[in-house]
Amino acid sequence: MIKADSAVKRETKYIAYSCAILSVLMQAVFVILKRWDYTVILGNLLSFAIAVLNFYFMGITVQKAVSMEVNDAKKLMKSSQTLRNIGVFIGIVIGVVAPCFNTVAVIIPVFFPRIAVSFRPLIKDQKEVIDK
Amino acid sequence: MEIAISIILGCCALGAGFAMIAGIGPGIGEGNAVAKACEAIGRQPECKGDVTTTMLMGCAIAETTGLYALVIAILLLFVTPGMFIDILINTIG
Repeated sequence: MIKADSAVKRETKYIAYSCAILSVLMQAVFVILKRWDYTVILGNLLSFAIAVLNFYFMGITVQKAVSMEVNDAKKLMKSSQTLRNIGVFIGIVIGVVAPCFNTVAVIIPVFFPRIAVSFRPLIKDQKEVIDK
Repeated sequence: MEIAISIILGCCALGAGFAMIAGIGPGIGEGNAVAKACEAIGRQPECKGDVTTTMLMGCAIAETTGLYALVIAILLLFVTPGMFIDILINTIG
């Protein structure tokens, strides 16, 4: 078992917190639309776990790859991406097929890390301004 | 009726397969990005932390394209056929 680097831990924490905030917002939208029930929470939890674990495993792979030879690093990233995609596929299929999960609530949070990464530079800039 | 349902199912499966072509790109892109990061760290080993952080964010963005394709494929396989078959049954009766 490879030990996670501090950069990987920090970024995974950031992604997890951001996903949690965005999940709360999504739940609020469901409540406003009067479509909220327990399947939304279950779907959101499943998808949150998929998104964060996918990012964490990607971080572990990147951490391992940067200390390897160039060609080995390329191969490792490609195989890791394939395996992670298969994992995400299985997770989402379970969410879509099983009736105890809301399909929309399963699909939307998978894209939360992308939104979180988009806001990352803004948060970094704010921190730098505060530090100065 | 059975032929129409078969065509719908076949087209959905084909569409899902075509959608997953987009899944090839992120793998190649991430591989190339990590290769360049390896070279950068080889030149300047003290920048390893910064390079890893930037790499992680870049990979997360590159990964999303594959996830879009994956979600479209899953919807085409598991959600769309049912919708189209319902529409067909309601229309033909």
